[in-house]
Amino acid sequence: MSPVSVFSSSSASPDSAPPDSAPPDASAAHRAAAKRRRRRANLVGWSFILPNFLGFAALTLIPVFGVFVLSFAHWDSYSSPRWAGLDNFRRLWNDANFWAALKNTFYYSAGHIPLTLAVSLGLAVLLNQKLRGVRLLRTAFFFPYITSLVAVAVVWNMLLSPEAGPVNQFLHFLGIAHPPGWTSSQNWAMPGLIIASVWRDMGYYMVLFLAGLQTIPAELYEAARVDGAGPWQRFWHVTLPGLRPTMFFVTVMLTVASFKVFDLVQVMTEGGPGRATLVLSQLIFRQGITQGRFGYSSAVSLALFAVCLVITMVQFRTQRRSER
Amino acid sequence: MKVKKNLAALTPLLVAASLVAATGCDAGGTSGSSGSDGRTVVRIALWNYKTTPEFKALIDGFEAEYPKIRIQPVDILADNYEQKLTTMLAGGDTTDVLTMKNVTDYARYATRGQLMPLTAQADKLDKASYSGLEDFDLKGKYYALPYRSDFWVLFYNKDLVGNADLSHLTWSEYASLAKRLTKGSGSDKVYGTYLHTWRSVVQAIASAQTGGNLLGGDYAFMKNQYEIALGLQKAKATLPFSTAKSQNITYDSQLTTGKAAMVPMGTWWAAALLAEKKQGTNDVKWGMAPIPQLTKNGKTVTFGSPTAFAVNKKARHADAAEKFVTWASGPEGAATVAKIGITPAYTDGKVMDSFFSVPGMPQDKLSREAMQPSKVQLEMPVSDKSSDIDQILKEEHELIMSGEKSVDAGIKEMDHRVKTEVQ
Amino acid sequence: MNTTVLPEDGTREAAAPTAAPGPSRRGGRGGPRRAAAAVGGQVALYALLIVVALAVLLPFIWMTVSSVKADREVFTVPIQWIPRSFHWSNFTTIWTRIPFAAYLGNSFFLSVVITFLQVLTGSFAAYGFAKVRFRGRDLLFAAYIATIAVPWQAYMVPQYIIMQKLGLVNSYASLILLQAFGAFGVFLMRQFYLTIPDEISEAARLDGLSEYGIWARIILPLSKPALASLALLTFVNTWNDYMGPFIYLTDNRLWTVQLGLRSFIGEYDAESAMIMTGSVLSVVPVLVVFLLGQRYFVRGIATTGVKG
Repeated sequence: MSPVSVFSSSSASPDSAPPDSAPPDASAAHRAAAKRRRRRANLVGWSFILPNFLGFAALTLIPVFGVFVLSFAHWDSYSSPRWAGLDNFRRLWNDANFWAALKNTFYYSAGHIPLTLAVSLGLAVLLNQKLRGVRLLRTAFFFPYITSLVAVAVVWNMLLSPEAGPVNQFLHFLGIAHPPGWTSSQNWAMPGLIIASVWRDMGYYMVLFLAGLQTIPAELYEAARVDGAGPWQRFWHVTLPGLRPTMFFVTVMLTVASFKVFDLVQVMTEGGPGRATLVLSQLIFRQGITQGRFGYSSAVSLALFAVCLVITMVQFRTQRRSER
Repeated sequence: MKVKKNLAALTPLLVAASLVAATGCDAGGTSGSSGSDGRTVVRIALWNYKTTPEFKALIDGFEAEYPKIRIQPVDILADNYEQKLTTMLAGGDTTDVLTMKNVTDYARYATRGQLMPLTAQADKLDKASYSGLEDFDLKGKYYALPYRSDFWVLFYNKDLVGNADLSHLTWSEYASLAKRLTKGSGSDKVYGTYLHTWRSVVQAIASAQTGGNLLGGDYAFMKNQYEIALGLQKAKATLPFSTAKSQNITYDSQLTTGKAAMVPMGTWWAAALLAEKKQGTNDVKWGMAPIPQLTKNGKTVTFGSPTAFAVNKKARHADAAEKFVTWASGPEGAATVAKIGITPAYTDGKVMDSFFSVPGMPQDKLSREAMQPSKVQLEMPVSDKSSDIDQILKEEHELIMSGEKSVDAGIKEMDHRVKTEVQ
Repeated sequence: MNTTVLPEDGTREAAAPTAAPGPSRRGGRGGPRRAAAAVGGQVALYALLIVVALAVLLPFIWMTVSSVKADREVFTVPIQWIPRSFHWSNFTTIWTRIPFAAYLGNSFFLSVVITFLQVLTGSFAAYGFAKVRFRGRDLLFAAYIATIAVPWQAYMVPQYIIMQKLGLVNSYASLILLQAFGAFGVFLMRQFYLTIPDEISEAARLDGLSEYGIWARIILPLSKPALASLALLTFVNTWNDYMGPFIYLTDNRLWTVQLGLRSFIGEYDAESAMIMTGSVLSVVPVLVVFLLGQRYFVRGIATTGVKG
């Protein structure tokens, strides 16, 4: 096998045609060849995507597109949809529940995303070492994700119980005279929920980070050690840059999952007390499948989509910049 | 690498095979319109067939009387029954009979045009003997007929209540009795009563007994009932609301493990308590009393919610389905469900006798009296705003009961939100 | 292989093939004091990890304890960590109370098929997105990502109607088609492929391998950790899914474990101990898969190919 140049372009794509330095009489043939090559690349590319795309397009893309159309209609799931113009969005604008849910969803995400990211990354780095019993430890940290949600809700509500809960007893011990009421208080229900959700999700994202960590060449660590870099420096200068693609994936998925949160909220607080933890997905579920206002629930989904889109685009931009 | 290559070559085959296997598993019987024995097959959407004995009782009873028709259950989980039914109907499902869990859902399906009108059948019924039939009247038309109609009574533990007289309690007598019955502390604590976390425990009772309108936007009528509930909670005569809510406490365990002496609850509980006794999982001696009232005027006003059968507009066998629905809601159906301890919508002396002849059912006079209230008001009135208002009332109920808001502030917020938020 | 490749962000020239003479094993160069400190650190780390792991397991422990309780002793105030009476029979009765074994089999079948298809088609499509440049690629990828941002609750009814029109409702085919072709696998694998230097596939191309050959013989073997994590997470998510099977599977014979567990929740009451028993049992297969899958969480690739 011939040695490969270290300096080859970052993406060795078949259509990266050589610069136009060829003699003029050859250029026509050259262009035809380039065209053929490009068409071939297109075919090859599509052939890779197609098996997945067929299923994806028919069963996900089209219904999702349906949501966009439905947000401009009144639809009860049975009769034919009636054109509604901007009615649903007007309703959205005037719906106090929507604004409450939007605010709560942002609040939740602002806590859940950074905390989960930090905890799961930390766990993955810790549990990527050659420790005895590391597999068992990894399994233990994955358990929250596979424990029944009802058990999660009950135990966390117990831990966070205002009077007798161990968390508040510990806070008392630390000298805090009036520890929070957690899930039975309007102001503290969301922090309580965030703690429980970080606990639940950390193992899930840890698995993704663990996979990502395996892609970082061991030689980089060796070299950094030779340079006298300590553990922190190695983390900052080797691990983090090496994890960039994984980090991007996790951030996007985590962001979207966070803005779409449903199950845990439903089981732990049902959006309460009052509507202190009502989130957008719950509103979508209630307005749509429960109450049969599918047009309006689609409009709320569109708003949620727009929020996710903006944030994801920012993440894409930042990633592009850091790649350069 | 070699293995990988072979695998890669095999994959298209595997994909095809698994898809074929999957479609091959397509459920049989779903499209069957008439059985091999020539009987018409009527499919009925219901929940938890195995653990809800009334369905089997009704189906067996009906089939015995109509040998030409076979009823086939479509078993759906009780937990998300409405969501599944809505989705199925959206896809044009042809299940013949649909069970309507409550009147709010019924109104939604009916106004969408998903149910067959049953007005002619309803008009033939002896309306005076029905409880909850008029709740299905939508602008003079009926699209479902009720077969059971539960309402609220006061369940109590005979050992814990002792010889206290529960026959004509007012709410204040009930409250002082509950405080008197509370004893012990720590894990031996016995509460005088248990108020479950549902908003109806306070709000629907207040509405039924004061005549206040739950959809009206003026909720001052709830104040008295809230003060009673909060007074009990403050006196530690009931498990605190927030504890019950966050620890998923079941009302059943409160009564059957002797934690609470009196529990206001719906009559559906009777059948469950009997079943538990039969299985030997509890041996509590319980009875029923009329729900406490505002004043002693000899009348018993309570609230309740009927359950009904409807015929799908797209039913394959509408005629046979109609036969089943009419039969189930009539005297024969009523007798069938009463025999297993369920409160039928249709009642007469004979039906009540079979209800009280169920083994284990309390036989005392007070329990019989409890089963014959003077008036049963529908738990939540029907309107296209019911669900939105229900949600607001539930949220404010939580805040009042967990002490986050005072009664006045909570009621004021209800008034304000129902007036401004419900569109 | 003797290729010398630098990672793309090639900032650390020192990483090149130097094949550093290895005095850098942990604690190897600091003398006894340093070694003792390292051992102490290890012990502290272990202690910390074990305590945290136990705390993390608390809800699971409660779930297990509850699985041998009587129904009405599950939810209590104060919470009970030691059952008042032990009902070991829960673990035998659950098999007859509901067709639990059949449900386990159904869940297993669905999870395996969906995981297999997701991993296969996902990693295949990801190669197209990561390593082939073609017209419309970025737009298509954006479409994939965009659908992730729409909650399923919003489009489950339109999706159901399509499925009904295709005549697939109430069959496994509906769920398989639904869950095997999501964006998750494509996105995950694409990100992973981006970390594989293009020079490797370039070399293979020069050797005359087709793009499909490169995918099957070079890229797939290199991406074991990512494949393992994708398979693992897909398996777990399919195994634990409730709403999908609930909406699409009506016939009782097709039900999965999660539906079986919910069937213990009645209109007015719930058999809570049975739910906990079933939940404990349903964790076992996931656990096995997780422990097996971890074998692939090792630095499998000689990414830089320096071993020579």
